[in-house]
Amino acid sequence: MPLFIRFKQVASVLVDAVPAILLTAMFLCFIIQVLMRYIMNTPVGWTVEVCVIAWLWILLWGQSVSAREEDEIRFDILYGSVSLALRRWFRMIFSVFLVGIYAWSLPALWDFVTFMKIQKTSYLDIRFNWIYSIAVVFSVVSILRYLWVFWTAARGDDASKAGTDAVVRKDPVK
Amino acid sequence: QDKPILRLSSVVSENDIRAEAFAEIAEAVSDQFDMQVFNGATLVKQGTEMTSIQRGNLEMGLIAPQTISEQIPEWSILTSAYLFKDADHLKATFKSDVGAQLLKLTEEAGIHVLAPVYFGTRQVNLAPEKEVMKPEDLKGVTLRMPGGDAWQFLGEAIGASPTPLAYAEVYTALQTGAIDGQDNPLPNDYNMKFYEVTSQIVLTGHLVGFDVLAISAKLWNDFTPEQQEALQSAVDTAIDKSTQRHIAREEELIQFFKDEGLKVYEPDRVAFRDYAQKKYLESEFAQSWPEGMIDAINALAD
Amino acid sequence: MSWEFGACVAVILMTAIIGLPIGHAMLASSIFYLLLQGHDMSIAFEQMLTGLYGSYVLLAIPLFIFAADLMNVGSLSDRLLDFCRALVGRFRGGLGHVNVVSSLIFSGMSGSAIADAVGMGRIIINLMTKDGKYPGAYASAITAASAIIGPIIPPSIPMVLFALVSDTSIGFLFLAGVVPGLILGVLLMVMNAWQARVYNYPVDDPVPLRDLPRITFRAVPALLMPVILLVGIYGGVTTPTEAAALAALYAFLVSTVFYRSVTLRTAYQTVRNSARSTASVGFLIAGALAFNYVVTIEQVPNVIRDALGDQELTFWSFLLMVNVMLLLLGCLLEANAILLVIVPIFLPTAVALGVDPVHFGVIVVVNTMIGLATPPYGLLLFVVTSITKSPIRDTIRHLLPFLAIMIAGLAIITFVPDLVLWLPRLYGYKG
Ligand code: NA
Ligand code: NA
Repeated sequence: MPLFIRFKQVASVLVDAVPAILLTAMFLCFIIQVLMRYIMNTPVGWTVEVCVIAWLWILLWGQSVSAREEDEIRFDILYGSVSLALRRWFRMIFSVFLVGIYAWSLPALWDFVTFMKIQKTSYLDIRFNWIYSIAVVFSVVSILRYLWVFWTAARGDDASKAGTDAVVRKDPVK
Repeated sequence: QDKPILRLSSVVSENDIRAEAFAEIAEAVSDQFDMQVFNGATLVKQGTEMTSIQRGNLEMGLIAPQTISEQIPEWSILTSAYLFKDADHLKATFKSDVGAQLLKLTEEAGIHVLAPVYFGTRQVNLAPEKEVMKPEDLKGVTLRMPGGDAWQFLGEAIGASPTPLAYAEVYTALQTGAIDGQDNPLPNDYNMKFYEVTSQIVLTGHLVGFDVLAISAKLWNDFTPEQQEALQSAVDTAIDKSTQRHIAREEELIQFFKDEGLKVYEPDRVAFRDYAQKKYLESEFAQSWPEGMIDAINALAD
Repeated sequence: MSWEFGACVAVILMTAIIGLPIGHAMLASSIFYLLLQGHDMSIAFEQMLTGLYGSYVLLAIPLFIFAADLMNVGSLSDRLLDFCRALVGRFRGGLGHVNVVSSLIFSGMSGSAIADAVGMGRIIINLMTKDGKYPGAYASAITAASAIIGPIIPPSIPMVLFALVSDTSIGFLFLAGVVPGLILGVLLMVMNAWQARVYNYPVDDPVPLRDLPRITFRAVPALLMPVILLVGIYGGVTTPTEAAALAALYAFLVSTVFYRSVTLRTAYQTVRNSARSTASVGFLIAGALAFNYVVTIEQVPNVIRDALGDQELTFWSFLLMVNVMLLLLGCLLEANAILLVIVPIFLPTAVALGVDPVHFGVIVVVNTMIGLATPPYGLLLFVVTSITKSPIRDTIRHLLPFLAIMIAGLAIITFVPDLVLWLPRLYGYKG
């Protein structure tokens, strides 16, 4: 059991590290881009490509693999003010909807992503099926996450801490 | 029976000459087709028209040759500097055996090309007041070019230091000096008000700018001959007219820019042409060009 | 417009109201629409992916968030706050003024109202509510109201988004935001002074004037940030998008090298948190991109344009109508969604009626930013109430006077175009 907990910790660190590394890469690329154009007078174009790929992956990774309840932006005037029991019903209803839609569209998404191997990115020559594969990850992980949401709600757990404070990060400000 | 729906996605703005041409086509074929035009890249994003047609999610698109060459490397020859002399040369090439050879490749990829759509010849537009006669004069000049390596190489091929930049940021970047210049056909220089923040236009004429108006090949082959004929002739009429209007517009804009106080002059085009063609032949792009095609296209110049 | 479109909109509203995260609601409902129409369901994903991949100017968002987060962990925000307190803390409702003034200054570094509210806002809220000086709901309200100013003064993510849909020069849009931003700041301070009198809020202990030079000196690196950004953009070093990276670099260097308040470990935590905020905010845009396709294919813009055409609108009545419509939409819709989906509908009419696109851009941005704080759906409202834990209803009550004066400010900005266009024209804008 401690081994399992240890594994969970390591996995969680790694899962969080991906978007962090991507954002760092994006930051460095922008700096390189400015330096190369303004100081070196030899502009580069590949930095833009790294940045847009990083941006895409930060978003979809961050909203699926490393997503947390409190990072989700939701309209919680009603959701945040109803009883816990009713909220569980809400969770069950929207989970069914989301899982249903994402699962139903998964074959079509797979078809699109694999089709996109037909094109490569301009500078780095990466095939677009690899770039867009994050969407498949996003869809599959979202399906699993919302199955879990449904399961906890159906069991009567209040797994959700998402009340009116759902929008704000919990990390302390310095 | 319902008329077939033809949704056309293009990046041109609603008030562009080409948008009028598309509206004319839609009007002319309205008996046989329900043609819906979506300008401003509102339907599908710029550069995704080809894959959208291939996946059956779009019927027609205005596709840049740069986009096609990402799938069909042979097409990159059409994106090289100083290939076409003018709009007539462009049209003649598409009607020739060379054109047939290139169109066969797009046909196999599921794209039927209806016509090349000319939108002006690209000229270099600079903020600094230095005289540019030869490619060497552009050494170290930071020139904004559209993103993508084919475009960036075009900038290198005329001797400049190309840098990619979002179109909407070009004006400010020219004004602040973040870039020295940009290259576009004269009507674009006018629309984006670049002449307010630049001092000169060098008539390099380094690229005859065109996109292709295309339709799904599968759809096209399922049309009756009458339908094909109706669409093709509507396209030919409207696009010829659009081409003539572009050429006339370029003529009158030269005078307009001079009146605005810009220096507008022609450099040593032969020097530019030799420099650029040499650069291209040494590049990886030329490796995908079909044998003898460049000579065949050159031969069609007159 | 088809019944399938109606179904799509209904499903978005319903699922969002029962608590499905909004980005998911928009994406899933767009897929649902495609399913009903029998179209390829992957189009929704394709639109999202290609839209994100092709939108270079959106890249400013993560970098501005990163810069703001760095300012908070490195003590730049604190020093800025000390400076503001020394300056205006001596007046009744002084901390309220500090809140507004710090937003004005901070706005030079952040392009995002949310970043302002969770950054500086959180620090000031803690100060205001300490010892029960101000009720939490009032602190929330003025923080939300003043955060609105952030994206009106450059740099500004919403203006970048407006430039994206309108092909307007970002540089001129930025310049055009300066005067309206200052006007709104002054109006908020007037309202704060009045509210402070009504509720008899306390006066902060005055900072001795002899300490002012020291406090100012301490704040110099933070005060230099907007200067550096402006020099970066208008001196030709960076484009406005790249300026976000420059801001982050500056905040990073100051807090690691100069203040030594950021270690490698805190730097990593910061970048990780920024990436998470980026994903939250960015996913709203992603959902909007998918829904955008549905709106386009249904030719909603044409329907509205035709309806507008029948109205025989004049210049002024059009602007009035846009303001009312956007304010109402702002109560329901997310700001980025309004900018990406709704604004393109109005643009052609605006241009046809001779409304200056830069002026129009400022109107739209002020409008959508006010929408961020208007109930029922206001992201800023959720953010600030979650910091103070005060009931939303109380916060709304304290917010209403501020919203009222902001709307008055919006009217001024709308009907006196010269106020907006004066600064851009000074820098050569011909409009
Ligand atoms: Na504030
Ligand atoms: Na700002």
